Amino acid sequence: MEYEWMVRYTPQREWIEGQGVLLWLAFFFSEIGAGIYFVSLFLNFKAGWLVGWLVTLVLGGLIHLGFLGHPMRSWRILLKPASSELSRGLWVIFLFGVIGFFQILPVVFSGLPWTGESSTMSTIMGILCILIITHGFLTMNVVRALPLWNSSMIIPVSLVSGIWVGSQTAELMLKISGQELYMSELWSRWSLLSYMAVLFVYLWGTYHASDTAKESIKRLLIGDSAVRFYIGVLVIGIIIPLIITLVVWGNGFEELSGGVLFIRFVCVLIGDLTMRYSIMKSAIYTPII
Amino acid sequence: MARFGMVIDLRKCIGCWSCTVSCKEEHFLPRGMFWNRVLISESGKYPAVKKEMYPVLCNHCKEAACVDVCPTGATNKREDGIVVVDADKCTGCRYCLIACPYQQRTPYKDDKVEWFPGQGFTQFEILGRTLYPLQKGTMTKCNFCAERIDEGQKRGLKPGVDNDATPACVISCPVNARIFGDLDDPSSKVSGLIKVRKGFQLHPELGTDPSVYYIN
Repeated sequence: MEYEWMVRYTPQREWIEGQGVLLWLAFFFSEIGAGIYFVSLFLNFKAGWLVGWLVTLVLGGLIHLGFLGHPMRSWRILLKPASSELSRGLWVIFLFGVIGFFQILPVVFSGLPWTGESSTMSTIMGILCILIITHGFLTMNVVRALPLWNSSMIIPVSLVSGIWVGSQTAELMLKISGQELYMSELWSRWSLLSYMAVLFVYLWGTYHASDTAKESIKRLLIGDSAVRFYIGVLVIGIIIPLIITLVVWGNGFEELSGGVLFIRFVCVLIGDLTMRYSIMKSAIYTPII
Repeated sequence: MARFGMVIDLRKCIGCWSCTVSCKEEHFLPRGMFWNRVLISESGKYPAVKKEMYPVLCNHCKEAACVDVCPTGATNKREDGIVVVDADKCTGCRYCLIACPYQQRTPYKDDKVEWFPGQGFTQFEILGRTLYPLQKGTMTKCNFCAERIDEGQKRGLKPGVDNDATPACVISCPVNARIFGDLDDPSSKVSGLIKVRKGFQLHPELGTDPSVYYIN
């Protein structure tokens, strides 16, 4: 057979090549920012609130704007929350920005008549964080034309990986500020194990979903993206952090030096970025004819 | 209200690309931008080789994925079923392009592209920028020549019957492989062809209910 346009499996390019790289980075920063905030809420680590809030809004937000063809019209994205996931996502980020501002303000300025520690505010922010962590993959998930993204398991992957990266960042910040690491290490331990499980179920489940989904997974595991996936996602993103985590688990917290923590943090960042890139890059359309 | 649609007879199509060319001419499309394409595949081995031509364009789906995902309402469906893009509202997020299973949308990224690189814009291109201005950074797609339909209907003409109210690709087809009309009118030619010759849509399993049908 000889083929032309869309007569064979065609990869999506607009959201990962050229200017599309910005969207990949924007999703990443929004999600890890929200992940940092989420884990910091549980650890009552207020510096983490501030860093998470800034990463989500400043890094995530500005890079999102850079991706748009007409960034000055971005306010229009708020107009269709009833049907567009992108619109709903912007509303969530808007609420995260406003409510987070009032939660963080007492951290920065003392003497204000309220504290940011109310359980109501923390609960609302926790829910908003979960929605932001999953926003990128939720936006992709509604695209029925790309079966690799249209898998129900992509949302748990997104949620767990966001929390995993967030917990690593928060733990590193706790170490730098000389605070107790026991709880944060528990978060890291269980989020890594959960991440491995949901990633496996996602790949396995999607492989069996349809012919196009199977072709996408093949590209991911034995095709164009294979080297990137095995080195970035598997070795750097999972195996190295797993070894470090198991050693610390077995030998106690004295093994958890700042250097080791930093190495694991960098590996997790690279692994998460590569995982998101690989999933965005390997999505393909079913041929038209 | 009518729901406009198209029937493409695959037995008649000879792969001459006149639909592609007339579309580019009608909308002054820049180099590299296509709202109409002809997909070609060859199957079999010599001497039993079969060549298949599939003209494709925006399907103007009844349940259009692009309309649902557009966060600004820039992509919207008119009452007559034609899916159009309002460039003034488009933010250039390309969500519609990602969501389209037929990949029939084209972002307008570079307004400096010349038909003849390094030669400057031709008079035709300059005219196009006046009569049919595209906005850089927005999405473009086939609109079933909505401007021809609207103008024609104002003059009392019937789309699909009168040339001046019918898409350019339909009237330029030398073998009448394209037929345009009202899908909701059971007496229209398109409805008759779909019924009699068992018209089919591309990827009906996706639930988009395209308004472009094929007969073979």
